[in-house]
Amino acid sequence: MFFKNFRIVIFVSALFFAALIVLSSQIRQEAGAGFAKKLVLEAAAPLHNALTASIRTIGDAWNRYVYLVNLQEENRRLRRTIDELNSDLVRFREDHLEADRLRQNLALERHYDFKFVAAYVIGREQAALSKTIMINKGSAHGLKTGMPVVASPGLIGRLTDVSWHAAKVLLIIDESSNVDVLVQRTRVQSILRGAGPRSCLLKYVSKIHDVKEGDLVITSGMSNVFPKGILIGVVSGVDRQDVGLFANVRVSPFADFSKLEEVMIIVDETADGGKTKAKGK
Amino acid sequence: MIFYLVLPFWAVALVVAQTVLADVLFSGWLVIEASLVVVICAGFRLNVVRGLILALVMGFVFDCLTGSVMGLFMLVYMVVFLLTFFVSERLVTEKLYIIAFFSLILSLMETLFLLLFYQWIYGINLAGSLLSVFLPQALMVSVMAVGFFYAMHRIEEMIYGKSMHSSQRAGTF
Repeated sequence: MFFKNFRIVIFVSALFFAALIVLSSQIRQEAGAGFAKKLVLEAAAPLHNALTASIRTIGDAWNRYVYLVNLQEENRRLRRTIDELNSDLVRFREDHLEADRLRQNLALERHYDFKFVAAYVIGREQAALSKTIMINKGSAHGLKTGMPVVASPGLIGRLTDVSWHAAKVLLIIDESSNVDVLVQRTRVQSILRGAGPRSCLLKYVSKIHDVKEGDLVITSGMSNVFPKGILIGVVSGVDRQDVGLFANVRVSPFADFSKLEEVMIIVDETADGGKTKAKGK
Repeated sequence: MIFYLVLPFWAVALVVAQTVLADVLFSGWLVIEASLVVVICAGFRLNVVRGLILALVMGFVFDCLTGSVMGLFMLVYMVVFLLTFFVSERLVTEKLYIIAFFSLILSLMETLFLLLFYQWIYGINLAGSLLSVFLPQALMVSVMAVGFFYAMHRIEEMIYGKSMHSSQRAGTF
């Protein structure tokens, strides 16, 4: 055992004695910091500062990391919100445009004293051979072959094929389409025939007839197909230099056939024979 | 010799670190007494001279930096060291649960000593903090001692190829 070594006993006793002396002196006089204590405090201060600063730095870095994570999450959330809002905006814009178009069609319905059925365009065929559109209403909604189809501000064609829930509309720009019309200003009667993507021709207009550029063309009501007085288009050119009896009269329809989305089908004319309520038409 | 030169700085660093950590983790509510764990470990690993000086310096620095009565922890740590030193021949340090239990007992004894000291000398009754402060501290010392001893074993195995036993003490008088 270590007690065999007398020096160790003395050493241990001395240390204990020293500790007790320090303790008792401290208890008795509540003395301030001694030199050794000052040295320890002096040595500890920079270390304390360094450690505290390090921990604070780590804490700040952690807080920054958490902040950045939150920021990233917030960023993701805001992007999602922006996407949703953009989607809503597109939808609302579409709804607004649709509402505009429907309002125009409604105005058409108010303008003419007809019974209308509204339909969406679900397909279009405007190739070289035929210019037709497909709509989402059919015989189940009261549609029949031959019914006139209008879109603000006027006539666009007639139904040629009607199934139960869909129908095909032959547009007035189709080469096989013929509509009995009047030049509104001079009441010159003619036949409007389709002549390509955005134009029609007036047939059998004599060179001596008073038809000039800017004249409005409306349906004549002579056939049983189209009621009288529906707007069709405007005369865009008159050519009388060609040999023959008739003038070459070009008509630009009011409707833009490439942008048709909603149309109205006249399913019933009122007792007045489809006379418009319109003033001056 | 290097041991005695480095010891004060090492002691200051350890006590400062445990103070700062306790401040960060527990807002000063608990003391992380890593210095006590070191003294216990010294009781198993160092000879009486080195161990006592380590306990004295550690206690002194602790007294200086924690604001306790000067000399109190010097005395306590030396007693802890001697107790550990006496029982070290009979305890198997490889069994960590024994170390945990022994550290817990020593920590509770230290607490008891402090309670009695403040009661007798200053008439301050600290028994109210026994469950809320001193017991958690003692448990923490116990857990830290297990970690410390385990780390020491691993380090010794890495350096020497096998862990050192109490009989193979470092240093001489």
